[in-house]
Amino acid sequence: MARVIIPSPLRRYTNYRREIKIEASDLSTLMESLLASYQGLSIIREQPALLSIFINGRLVKADEQSWNEIGLKEDDEISLIIPIAGG
Amino acid sequence: METNQMIDLSRLENIVLPPPLWEQIKAHCKRKLAGDYLPGETKVKRAYGLLGGKVHGDSAVIEKIFFFKKNARMTEPLKSYMDGVMERYAVASKTPLSQRGWITDPDELRLCYDLCDREGLAVIGTYHMHIVPWDHDPLRDTPTKLDMVLAKNSNLYCFIVSLVDPSQPIIRAFYEGIKENEVPILFE
Repeated sequence: MARVIIPSPLRRYTNYRREIKIEASDLSTLMESLLASYQGLSIIREQPALLSIFINGRLVKADEQSWNEIGLKEDDEISLIIPIAGG
Repeated sequence: METNQMIDLSRLENIVLPPPLWEQIKAHCKRKLAGDYLPGETKVKRAYGLLGGKVHGDSAVIEKIFFFKKNARMTEPLKSYMDGVMERYAVASKTPLSQRGWITDPDELRLCYDLCDREGLAVIGTYHMHIVPWDHDPLRDTPTKLDMVLAKNSNLYCFIVSLVDPSQPIIRAFYEGIKENEVPILFE
């Protein structure tokens, strides 16, 4: 199963879990499953430009429409990052 | 590694910032203000970083400061997002909108979060500095509307460092950048 790493500020939406294991063969399926299980996390979709997804430390450079083309392997580590900003 | 620590930062009564860490923040801000940049650091006179710590009851104790080196303000798609926010919420200033605001580099932030997890630290908040006095806010030690918009739903404290008078820096903490949600900082 792939492992999704939830950053500290978003853990209030995952019952404070840091790591969530999900059976998924591609990124689109994984994200659908994750957001179905933790609906509060849908906040990450409010500003698509802000969401960065890393697979095993490498930034995914693909928009959401292409996520189903990104295959996942057993033990892949997926990190979801929303950058922090200020004025 | 702490993986399931339940932390509701919105309920804190105070935040303890040990004086040596406050000194680190001040030194970072003053260095950037002086235009003294480290290798690999984005050359902008803005300082921002992250405060990691531990929560004990209704108090958080800051244990480590992480200094961000990069500013992704000019990197797409973040640039377009920030340009839009600036146009909508930034108040008039002599600094062009295109040069205002900062946003963390996602990879630098990811590594920072990983480090916090490895060290068992919760991410308590971020800090950034204000340097220009405004007529209606001469000390600039509170969040702007822009800060509040950008901190919305962050579940973090927005620490504002005022360097309007560099000889007398001020730091204050506001949950999600909301003025009414200020929490006192204890320097001990």
